Amino acid sequence: MRESIEIAEEIVKGLKTEFDDVTAIVTSKDESMVKIWNTEPSIVQSWIETSVTVYIAKNRRTLVLSLSIDDPSEIIKRVKAAGPALLKLEASDIYAPLPEPTEWKPIEGLLDRAIAKALDDPKDVAEAMIASALDRGVDRVAGTLDLVYGKRAVVTSKGFSGEEKMTSVEAYLRAFKDEMSGHWAYGARHLDLKSIEEVGDKAGYYATLTDRKADYTPGKYDVIISPLVVGNLVNYVGFMASAAAILMGYSMFLKYKVGDKVASEIISMYDVPRDHELPSSTAFDDEGVPTYDKPIIEKGILRNILHNSGTASKMGTKSTGNAGLIFPIPWNLRLSTGSLSEDDLAAELENGIIINNNWYTRLQNYVEGAFSTVSRDATLLVKNGEVVGDLGRIRISDKIGNLLKNASALGKTLYKIKWWEVETPTKAPYMLIRDVNITKPFA
Amino acid sequence: MVNVLRLDEGIIKHGVDFALANGASYSEVRYHKNVSDSVLMRGDKIAGVGTEVKEGVGVRVIVDGSLGFGATNDLSREGVERAVKKALIRAKNLSPLRKTPIRFSEERLGKADYAVRFRKSLSDLGLEERVNLGKDLFRAVNESVKDAKVPVTMFELATSEEEKYLVTSDGAEVHSLIPRVSLMLNIILTSSEKGSLQRMMEFGGSGGAELLEDWRPREVVSDEVKRLEKVLLKGVEPPKEKVPLVVGSEVVGLIVHESAGHPMEADRILGREAAQAGESFVKVDMMRNYRVGSDKATVIEDPTIPGSYGYYLFDDEGVPARPRYLYKEGLIYEALHNRHTALLFGTSSNAAARAMNYSSEPIVRMSNTYFQPGDYSFEELLDGIRLGVFMKSYMEWNIDDRRWNMRFVGLEAYLIKDGELDLPVKNPVLEVTTKGFYSRVEAVGRELRFYPGTCGKGEPAQGVPVWFGGPDLRLAKIGLGVSA
Repeated sequence: MRESIEIAEEIVKGLKTEFDDVTAIVTSKDESMVKIWNTEPSIVQSWIETSVTVYIAKNRRTLVLSLSIDDPSEIIKRVKAAGPALLKLEASDIYAPLPEPTEWKPIEGLLDRAIAKALDDPKDVAEAMIASALDRGVDRVAGTLDLVYGKRAVVTSKGFSGEEKMTSVEAYLRAFKDEMSGHWAYGARHLDLKSIEEVGDKAGYYATLTDRKADYTPGKYDVIISPLVVGNLVNYVGFMASAAAILMGYSMFLKYKVGDKVASEIISMYDVPRDHELPSSTAFDDEGVPTYDKPIIEKGILRNILHNSGTASKMGTKSTGNAGLIFPIPWNLRLSTGSLSEDDLAAELENGIIINNNWYTRLQNYVEGAFSTVSRDATLLVKNGEVVGDLGRIRISDKIGNLLKNASALGKTLYKIKWWEVETPTKAPYMLIRDVNITKPFA
Repeated sequence: MVNVLRLDEGIIKHGVDFALANGASYSEVRYHKNVSDSVLMRGDKIAGVGTEVKEGVGVRVIVDGSLGFGATNDLSREGVERAVKKALIRAKNLSPLRKTPIRFSEERLGKADYAVRFRKSLSDLGLEERVNLGKDLFRAVNESVKDAKVPVTMFELATSEEEKYLVTSDGAEVHSLIPRVSLMLNIILTSSEKGSLQRMMEFGGSGGAELLEDWRPREVVSDEVKRLEKVLLKGVEPPKEKVPLVVGSEVVGLIVHESAGHPMEADRILGREAAQAGESFVKVDMMRNYRVGSDKATVIEDPTIPGSYGYYLFDDEGVPARPRYLYKEGLIYEALHNRHTALLFGTSSNAAARAMNYSSEPIVRMSNTYFQPGDYSFEELLDGIRLGVFMKSYMEWNIDDRRWNMRFVGLEAYLIKDGELDLPVKNPVLEVTTKGFYSRVEAVGRELRFYPGTCGKGEPAQGVPVWFGGPDLRLAKIGLGVSA
């Protein structure tokens, strides 16, 4: 099989005489995912794929082609065929010439041979995750273990050429004990068995924390949200920090400018593409711009909007190394930490609710940040510092801005979270938020 | 064949035989190609033009009682063999962790070749024509408002073709070709005094470029924006007391998708999706004896509706499709099955196995889900209501992972006073349990309308096109909340 970088270089060479800008991104992977159902594997999925994305521009007209074809001559033929129609269009509103290449520094430690080795036989790793949950006395577990060995090459007509080889692991498990459940997740570049076991252990911990039920009336509560919930909510904030989200009307930052206060001063949130521990780490973006870590929010102040060259040009600034060819993206997110252990945070809460996990976050209005989300695992009512029972499924119905501003304490430990509801890998702590609006069905 | 496959049929059949020769007790190979073209516009300016071709094969094998899936876009004979081998090796290595072997139900499987017919080919829909539609809709939005501002509109038009050729070791051989069109518009209206309002409008169906005329998007968008401006500028809070609620067909469609379709997926009921997509309040022993709603509550799932976004005639396991009653006259009735869940339920598959693309395993999915219409006109639904609310559309919604506790926040909504629509209502919240909703249905409209969506499920996540719909409904008195 040909190297990704060779394919990308051949594509760019074959197209650059006909277009003003050409970028070829070639990714290839060998991936295996074990899906666990009722404590046993329901399927093992494997992907052996190469995919190619080509960006071309001519006279400010742009086109992106994503192709699951790895034959450069076939790709060149298809792209050239699309060219004439492109020229009939009007110029793109969000265009800038591809940037001149600058020096980029590779990130060490993106590859873990243990993952490459475990691809064909992930049984022991899956078994370890399951066993640590069962050790907590749960009835059954469900989840996935996903291992990836991949390559990504980016070549541009301006002369940038870069390739990275990387591995990643994503593991999440949900443990059930009677009507209770607990959930935990982990995403990283390296296969650390202790962290995998912690996924099972923490899921089991929450599933077995109480067997009592509790009830509540709708209203304002102080709430501790776990790193899974923090990760889910800050993923929305990260998405809304993309300049394209702002331009397209999908952002509460439409109402703010850099320098505005948008959160409590304990909240800092960084885009950290160079954190080699997190699974989307990369040294260069999809335009070949070197990546760098940067604050999105720092001590409550909006510090950076995320740009590619096109959105940067549109908004009169410079790329932040976050391309996405059309849509700039955060690579990885990292939250600030506090000084409290998880027990200290619970003591600080005294009366309120602890939420282990959530899903189905939806917004009524991105500009206002009005949203709701539903808890889905241990949702614990705390009175006088003691867990008195599980509330079942409850709903946070509030504004994202309110939650950011009402955050009052952070845990001191960061967890590496990635799963279905936390697509952008996030290092997140536990977070205590005051006066969160909680609702309940009327009938 | 209705279309010429890029891949030699012989390679696909060889993949099936190769798996059997290497120890599989069952094998299937699905060639699957999705081609889509999209135009993204911000206001009346182009933001992006894209083409995506996703083409490859997905393989499933059962070996030593363990199920394996392999996907590759290397369409050579060696590439397909490699995907089969990976699926076999990895499934075999995990088989010691299985206590019970995976098996599929015996079915009458299809040998068929079908395609959706169209009046105007998607290939005749030029880029300029697509962009001009975006500009027309931008104008329609801006010319429809009087006092509000329109800071942002976003338009996305996508056309696609999905071609599949499925061969299984137990006799299925199905080739299909389905073209689709989808159109999405994001509109924000603002007022310095009243804040902002956001609406995402969607159109979608299977067919050709003629759909863009059939939908009359300029007229529909223009009419709706005029009404939304009134909601923004003149909207009042919903009543504090419990009132009858007339739920518009768009909201009804989403409700049945979330609270009848998803909980009736057999894989959820059995816990296969427990970690991610969740489980279900429905238990195996509830079929045909648990009452979830009034006798007016019937919800149907039907992949075979011509022109629908979720259209197919054979599922991705080769089973012939048919309509199914999920809820019938208020009773939980028939779950959605693939061949694995059907065996575990002791029944037959009803053809609900779908895969998003070649990289995806076929899992239990909805297609087109709708509340069965009744015989009330809209005026008759309103008749006799002294004070109530009509919730016509929504933005925010969610439901818990057992499909019981759900919330829908109205966007376009009106007070009902003395049997007639009155002032617009801003952001009324219907927060209700599944049983609470279906039990309150007291009158059902006669006009059935469908709405498109992309339904997400699976690990990794798969988004498949679906329709959901229904008529307008009247619910008995219920409390309403107000959005934050």
